[in-house]
Amino acid sequence: MKKRSVALMLSLMLTAGLLAGCGNDGGKDTPDAGADAGGAAADAGTPADTQEPAGAGDADTDAEKEPITLSVFWWGSQLRNERTQQILDMYAEDHPYITFDGQFSDDYWTRMATLAAGHTLPDVVQMVYGYLPQYAEEGTLVDLTPYIEDGTIDVTNVSESVLETGRIGDGIYAICNGVNASALFYNKTILDEAGIEIHDYMTVEEFKEICREVYEKTGYKSSLSYGGYTSEYFLQYLLRGEGKQLYGEGALGVDSAEELLPFFQIYEDGIKEGWHLDPSLYVERTRGQVQEDPMVYGSSPENMSWCGFYASNQLVAMQSAAPEGMDIALTTFPGNNAKAALWLNPSQFFCVSTDSENPDEAAALIDYITNSVDCNNVLLGERGVPISNVVADAIAEKQSPDDQEVIAYINNVVTPNCSPIDPPNPASSSEVFALLDSLTEKVMYGELTAQEAAEQFFEQANAILAE
Amino acid sequence: MMKKIKSCLCRESVSGVIFSLPFIIGLVLFLIVPLGISLYYAFCEYNILSPAEFTGLDNFVTLFHDELFWKSLGVTVFYTVVSVPLKLVFALFVAMLFQKTTRAAGIYRAVYYLPSIIGGSVAVSVLWKRMFAVDGTINQILRGLGVQNTIAWLGDTRTAIWTLILLTVWQFGSSMLIFLSALKQIPASYYEASTVDGAGKANQFFRITLPLLTPTIFFNLVMQVINGLLAYTQCFIITNGKPMNSTLFYMVHMYNQTFVYYKAGYGAALAWMMILIVGAFTAILFLTKKKWVYDGGV
Amino acid sequence: MRRKKRMQKAIYYIVVTAIGFLMVYPLLWMIMSSFKETNTIFVTAGSLIPDPFTIQNYITGWKGFAKITFGTFFKNSAIISVLATIGTVFSSSLVAFGLARCRFPGRKLLFVMVLLTMMVPAQVLMVPQYIWYHKLGWVGSYAPLIVPYCFAIQGFFVYMMYNFIGGIPRELDEAAKIDGCSYFGIYARIALPLMVPALVTSGIFSFIWRWDDFMSALLYINKAKDYPVCLALKLFTDPASTSDYGAMFAMSVLSILPVLLIFIFFQKYLVDGIATSGLKG
Repeated sequence: MKKRSVALMLSLMLTAGLLAGCGNDGGKDTPDAGADAGGAAADAGTPADTQEPAGAGDADTDAEKEPITLSVFWWGSQLRNERTQQILDMYAEDHPYITFDGQFSDDYWTRMATLAAGHTLPDVVQMVYGYLPQYAEEGTLVDLTPYIEDGTIDVTNVSESVLETGRIGDGIYAICNGVNASALFYNKTILDEAGIEIHDYMTVEEFKEICREVYEKTGYKSSLSYGGYTSEYFLQYLLRGEGKQLYGEGALGVDSAEELLPFFQIYEDGIKEGWHLDPSLYVERTRGQVQEDPMVYGSSPENMSWCGFYASNQLVAMQSAAPEGMDIALTTFPGNNAKAALWLNPSQFFCVSTDSENPDEAAALIDYITNSVDCNNVLLGERGVPISNVVADAIAEKQSPDDQEVIAYINNVVTPNCSPIDPPNPASSSEVFALLDSLTEKVMYGELTAQEAAEQFFEQANAILAE
Repeated sequence: MMKKIKSCLCRESVSGVIFSLPFIIGLVLFLIVPLGISLYYAFCEYNILSPAEFTGLDNFVTLFHDELFWKSLGVTVFYTVVSVPLKLVFALFVAMLFQKTTRAAGIYRAVYYLPSIIGGSVAVSVLWKRMFAVDGTINQILRGLGVQNTIAWLGDTRTAIWTLILLTVWQFGSSMLIFLSALKQIPASYYEASTVDGAGKANQFFRITLPLLTPTIFFNLVMQVINGLLAYTQCFIITNGKPMNSTLFYMVHMYNQTFVYYKAGYGAALAWMMILIVGAFTAILFLTKKKWVYDGGV
Repeated sequence: MRRKKRMQKAIYYIVVTAIGFLMVYPLLWMIMSSFKETNTIFVTAGSLIPDPFTIQNYITGWKGFAKITFGTFFKNSAIISVLATIGTVFSSSLVAFGLARCRFPGRKLLFVMVLLTMMVPAQVLMVPQYIWYHKLGWVGSYAPLIVPYCFAIQGFFVYMMYNFIGGIPRELDEAAKIDGCSYFGIYARIALPLMVPALVTSGIFSFIWRWDDFMSALLYINKAKDYPVCLALKLFTDPASTSDYGAMFAMSVLSILPVLLIFIFFQKYLVDGIATSGLKG
């Protein structure tokens, strides 16, 4: 009973947090802001439930509708595949004229590229922030603004700032389906044993000090953001803390190599002082596979880490990969001025492709995923915290303690203390990312000093972005 | 009339064309068309999502200034030159071991072929990394043998490529099978005759087996050199070019350009460059063919 | 003398078994891992023996994804691999015979083309081929995975059989010609029976390659219920969340079985090849 009320409280706070959004958009909240408590208290009153009788009433007209097939394409774990397939089945039951063609696959972006080349993109596709501008600007995605205006996609319970993450130019091309934030995971068990305290919003110097202390007391090393996709996040985070952005117009958002130096300096110090993991370890592990992360897997402290740079929603996976008795907690990335640095991040989106013959129906499906409580009772926030506050409330009590820890982090640590997200990355950002990766590697192998790496990054990244 | 058609069909040249017809059709339908498109892309800026734009020789100019082009080409050639001879020697050795038609030989053949069946699966990737990890099986064995300093096989720029070479040599099964079927073609009477003459095993090998196998060795050599230069999986599933691009295969570089950076035009240029390089290697091999390949028929 | 022979034999078997163990170790490791609890596979990667022993991975693995079991995936793989293999072996043998035994204008050029097909990296064709197959209306069906192979487009097989036919004495052709056989008769009555080892070798290779070819399946198959095993296996590992390694290993083990059985069954035909078919001398 107690757990349940905690969950409810958390979800209420989350709602408030998301509604308040970050930064300037806070004032322009939806008029429904006050209604969330009612929505959570009375499940019967949720939009999905009220829609259903209407849907049943439409059965006659539905029967006359020409049968269509909607294809939906996503990537993800076995769990996601099953849950997503299940909600498509549920939706098809209510809309008998629709047949779904659910597609999920590995090597998602290779497949997406060929599908786009052949103009055969599925009706609804899953998308990430990084690829969104490319796909939207090349005209492969439908501008959803008209559907939002005519209510096909109901966003009354979605905060403006979250909705805006799908904006490219004048249109909203993607509807976010979950929210996360950057997070530093740490092995609470070990730190407790060593008597080391972690506090949120720590600075880089404080972080380095902890790394040294942990190494001295326990022998555990530290793992920085290298080796995962959060490397770019971390650099972005550090720069935002200094009031800068990683990307500007056709160039980096910084004016000199000096501003990039702190990022590379952490690596140089870590290797020199011995508290950073040996770089060879990163070749032996599969990147991004939590089971192989040095936080949870290794034969001795020498090849294990007390921390890891991740996105908040991965805590659940990391905790489940951890050996029994290892408690993993989360805090903010190290950096200056957390308020400027932190941001709420759309974990993924759904988009409608311009190859779709039934964009109206595709948009309606996105509405269902966004607003139906029945649907999200199946999905259970597996893609991130649902963006509709009504939905987030309704499913909160069904979520696991780990999920709730993540929600608490988003609500209490990130939301009160964050700024709007940077504009979407330019198309060539994947190349810049690869460059960052290889320069970081060279610093760790001692081929370059932090200073040299910062200079090379400044020069070469600017060249890539100028193309 | 019928007879005329029949005799026409039976003419050597007509028969040859008819036999080759499947390939001619397949070549045009499934290769020439896509190859033509990709050749066009090689001279374009093409980001896959929007139509290709002709840019002339730009991609090839970029290519010569691309540090990773040279680096990956070097890695790939080294890998090929080292792994192919090792693989072929091993494959031939094993094929000779299990040449006999006994039940045991059959089982051993299957056992030795197993690694090639497993191919490039995730299982191999996990396993290989666990074997060569700093705290992995190989280092444990070495420590048992008294070797004190641990080696980061995968993390050291000098050794990482060797783990991939080893993986390639380990999967020698296809070459072994081809050697086996060729060994079967050598008439047993040749050996019988030489035994009567009092020739030893080694003598037989160098005087009979090896010369008669040269066409097959040549075939395997050509195939494996091509495969080596176009190798992709080993790098992709295990090191992905790490550390510091010391294991970056050419094909992985090309794949990244095309599907990670969406520079399909440049990717096509890299691919055509590779086709030329492979062509050159093959041509050189064919030029040396007359010098050492036995062509007397059996 | 006898003793020496026995010693030699013993050494032979010891060496052969020792190397054999190295060869199967990975498979053994995979099989053993498939019986471990899925969250202990990494932690216990150093030891072979599963503790505790569980078959749970096979149960969860077989269930597959979104109500599609691995039974379906195996059936799909079998259809694709068998049809493509038959097509490729038959068509390649025709072309190889034509190139090896008939002189005709353009033969040299065709031979170079055969070699060229082997030099083209598959990755370069992915995008153009996709566009082209889409124009043909093949995307979403098994056609791109089967039809091209029925036209001898894998130069490897043509070249291998060409080499093999080169080893068959021409006197046999001449004899057949005198008996009134056309080239087609020679192909069917002389070459084909003698080519059995090459056909079997090609068949084994082709089957394994098609069985493992997830890339074309990834590009051309849309519906999960049409996926072959190799593609389905990749769905077990997801970088963004927890991967079920246990189930993945369990199904990997099962997926190797058909290939292994094919190999064991057909390899005996390699042995009964040309050597026993009356060509001694």
